[in-house]
Amino acid sequence: MALLELRDITKSYGEGAQRVDALRGVSITVEPGEMVALVGPSGSGKSTLLAIIGGLLTPTSGSMLVAGADVAKFDARARSRYRRDQVGFVFQSSNLVPFLTARENLLLVGEFGGADRAALARRADELLSELGLTDAAGQAGNRLSGGQRQRVAIARALMRDPSLILVDEPTASLDSKRGAQVVEALRDEVHGRHKACVMVTHDLEMAARADRVLEIRDGLLQVHQAAV
Amino acid sequence: MLAIREMVRRKLQFGLVTGVVTLIAYLVLMVTGLGLGLNQLAGTALLALDGDHLAYSDRSNLSVIRSQLSEAQVKDIASAPGVKASAAIGYVAAAIEYQPGEVETAALLGIDLGSIAAPKVIEGRSLTPQDRRGLLVDRSWASLTGTRIGDTLQVPVGLATEPFEVVGVADQGSFFFQPAMFMLRDSWRTVSYRSVDRETPYASVVLLQGGGLDGTRGSGWEVVTKDTAFWNIEGVSAQQGTVDALKYMGLLIGAMVIGVFFYVITLQKVALLGVLKAIGASGLYLTAQGMLQVFLVSLVGTVVAAGLAVLTKATVLSSDAIPIAFTTGAVVSTTVAVVVAGVLGAALSMRQIGSIDPIIAMQQQQ
Repeated sequence: MALLELRDITKSYGEGAQRVDALRGVSITVEPGEMVALVGPSGSGKSTLLAIIGGLLTPTSGSMLVAGADVAKFDARARSRYRRDQVGFVFQSSNLVPFLTARENLLLVGEFGGADRAALARRADELLSELGLTDAAGQAGNRLSGGQRQRVAIARALMRDPSLILVDEPTASLDSKRGAQVVEALRDEVHGRHKACVMVTHDLEMAARADRVLEIRDGLLQVHQAAV
Repeated sequence: MLAIREMVRRKLQFGLVTGVVTLIAYLVLMVTGLGLGLNQLAGTALLALDGDHLAYSDRSNLSVIRSQLSEAQVKDIASAPGVKASAAIGYVAAAIEYQPGEVETAALLGIDLGSIAAPKVIEGRSLTPQDRRGLLVDRSWASLTGTRIGDTLQVPVGLATEPFEVVGVADQGSFFFQPAMFMLRDSWRTVSYRSVDRETPYASVVLLQGGGLDGTRGSGWEVVTKDTAFWNIEGVSAQQGTVDALKYMGLLIGAMVIGVFFYVITLQKVALLGVLKAIGASGLYLTAQGMLQVFLVSLVGTVVAAGLAVLTKATVLSSDAIPIAFTTGAVVSTTVAVVVAGVLGAALSMRQIGSIDPIIAMQQQQ
């Protein structure tokens, strides 16, 4: 059974002559343990699609089922809980809290409620170890290298054991070697922990590391490709 | 907790605003202390009197200076329904010579021995019927002039002066911004009017104990509460109004400073707050963190200011000549007022935090 199922999702901004259709009927399914790359030129709608999947935007029409629940119908409070409990975000520039250490950045998600803090502390240590960050655990977010920051961001995304990992241009601020390491680490976590992952990227080399690559142009899904 | 960790890790930023809050709270506290001190000078002697109400001449406009009551009126007041005890009091301001060529003004209060107006003596002895030239001076007078028990003070009677001996010290405070002195009421009549006959006023006001007396009127007299009497002392209401205006201005400035600081800090953190919302933080959680910071900055700043204000009063401004006074109630209420002003001032920023759209977490990087 698909973990994520998008059916005919549209997203429009403005009205009348000013109307812009960012997404025009996108349908996707993602299975648990599957990493899907979304590629496409700037303005194609891929980040809008990621924002809709992450509950940051609501679609104009269509349905979005995550583990059977239609997230598109959630109100703001329910979307906030959905982001907290079911989604792990990894952003382009990691977006760690700069005055917190790497470990504190992971533990921060425990403050948002609905979690066993002791279990989260154990999980933080486990993730830091898995991602090779044990030595950097006590360093402030703004003192970590770009690669370390992205790995901490991946660990933060996995802290609450979400079913869905959403990744937005994770290698844009890294050189190709570090970028590859980050995507490999992400891929290992997705496969090892049986998560569904959607990754937006411009970088076709990184996209090729995903299980499936989807291309979006002008708000339409163009090609369904098998993994390279 | 995120809010406290941020304050600890960004010490300079939060330290500066706490310092500014401290200065503003200090100013507000000192103004409050000044108001309290001036009020004490204006009428602690009146407030300390062992009664609930005062009867005035109804043509005095509730002024102790202008109020003059006859013996018949005083008896009439004492027998009014609800009066449990009464004491006639005379008042006159006088320039007292305490050393040759050294003069200070004092509020001379004429009292009857054994009445409810008789002050408690803290040093020396009480007045006796024989002390027609005897005085009880207030502690503040003794401190100001160095007067001791047994000293002789020259009290003006008409154009001349007469010697009065200090027999004791009371702690009744001031009246009309002058240290209080107590003498026998008969002596007061002589000091005030020189010759005493049937037409000479018997008292200025009458102190009363009893219930339901407020508003009672009789032939040429009226009764008000002691509180009303205090606020009708010449200059007290205007003085308190000025102090209150300064205090509210200080609170307004405090609210604005805290509000602007947290508005700017919120603007700087919009992207970060958006990210936190995107990863699951609720608007309520983030607003609570912001409110906690506002509360702590206001509280710490105000508590430090309260300590500084009390320390200043105890050291630099310890002299009785500087009318600044603090009470626990005044310090606590001012502290609460500054904290509340800070929280209200930052309300706009807190509202802004609640309305940040988490989509900004993605938009900021495109």
